[in-house]
Amino acid sequence: MNQWAFVIAAYTVTLAGTAIVSVVSWRAMRSAETRADHLSDRT
Amino acid sequence: MATQRFVGFSIGKMPYWRCLARPAKDAALMHRFANPARFLKIARPLTGWLFWPGLLLLLAGCACGLFLTPADYLQGQTVRILYIHVPAAWLGMGGWSGIAIAALMQLVWKHPLAAVAGRAIAAPGALFTAICLMTGSIWGRPTWGTWWEWDGRMTSMLVLFFLYLGYIALGNASARQAQQGGVSNVTAIFGLVGAINIPIINRSVVWWNSLHQGPSITLRGSSIDGSLLWPLGLTLLGFTLLFGGLVLMRMRAILAQNKVEARMQRLARG
Amino acid sequence: MKAKHQRLILALAALVALVGAGLLAASALKDEAAYFYAPHDVKTKGVEPGKAIRLGGMVVKNSLKRAADGVTIRFDVTDGKATVPATFSGIAPDLFKEGSGVVAEGSFDAKGSFVATNLLAKHDERYMPRELEGMSYNESTHEMKAER
Repeated sequence: MNQWAFVIAAYTVTLAGTAIVSVVSWRAMRSAETRADHLSDRT
Repeated sequence: MATQRFVGFSIGKMPYWRCLARPAKDAALMHRFANPARFLKIARPLTGWLFWPGLLLLLAGCACGLFLTPADYLQGQTVRILYIHVPAAWLGMGGWSGIAIAALMQLVWKHPLAAVAGRAIAAPGALFTAICLMTGSIWGRPTWGTWWEWDGRMTSMLVLFFLYLGYIALGNASARQAQQGGVSNVTAIFGLVGAINIPIINRSVVWWNSLHQGPSITLRGSSIDGSLLWPLGLTLLGFTLLFGGLVLMRMRAILAQNKVEARMQRLARG
Repeated sequence: MKAKHQRLILALAALVALVGAGLLAASALKDEAAYFYAPHDVKTKGVEPGKAIRLGGMVVKNSLKRAADGVTIRFDVTDGKATVPATFSGIAPDLFKEGSGVVAEGSFDAKGSFVATNLLAKHDERYMPRELEGMSYNESTHEMKAER
């Protein structure tokens, strides 16, 4: 059905955008916190 | 003391009425979280508690909105875009309100975490503004017969998106210059000035004849039938929790980076 | 007075001035920023023939007629206070129907009839399932009532 194409496009854009920003934020947080933790181990 | 028992709530050891009577005392509560270590103690567990339930709720809401609700009498199936478009609009505008509040706290009280919070909000806020514009466009094509029209609502929302881009660029440029990962005061002022756009977006459909329909949900009630409305509550709450989780993640990343950079500078100085 | 209070007052004053300026600009733009003219605006302000504008309102029930050539449609646009006749040749959007909103791009001809070059369907703020279609709707209370 034609209308469903628009609905699916809208949901895909939303979920993909949310997923990308979530993963990027999560990984940025993990790497930064890991580096900060290693820092205090060494000194 | 009778008053206090009667109302029965207080902030810390302070009865609520003393906070109201003496705004200076408010600062005590606010500054308890100025210390990053104290903030992180709460932020660390809270991140997951916001993010995962948020994700679960929004996926459940989307599934309900896609499969359980009836089609609209006029729009047919495209009405389902509402369940993501409305939360995206709310978070795009709510995000900038957060930036403005953070800017006020930064400029007036010099709260050290406010600058970090403002910078952390910007990217998720821009994301949801973009989602709002795109889903609106996808909805507009079958409903109005156009992808884009320069009417008041759409134009002011696009302005908000560009404000976010400007804020992110300014914030990234200023964060390196000894702002401890936060935004500079100039960027905060930009965030405060940009807040004027929020009431304009909100009232645009009322002030000006616009292609975009008027508000469906007002204080008087809702013109969306209950059988169509209920998944919107799930997605609204879900996206909002997820947004909170994202902001905390980004704040934690900035704070951890600060720690690393502070150490580096100390080592470099010897 | 502490410096903090000074900053607070300064920031709040700036904020108030800003909001005031914004609202003033918005109200000054009221007519300029309007996306379309309603039939009532056309009647009171007057729009010269040939000027490209958008006309928005509701399609009057039972006014939609197809001309002899088979492509041109005629209909009346109303905003409750005034009604304007309009014509359009081409393919109308799916949601364009009698009793629902429309925004037409085009201009008035010498006889005061609006010649549309493009039609957009304007959706209203009501959302309801198909079973409720045909119920009357109270705009101020948002209540639905079954029509007999």
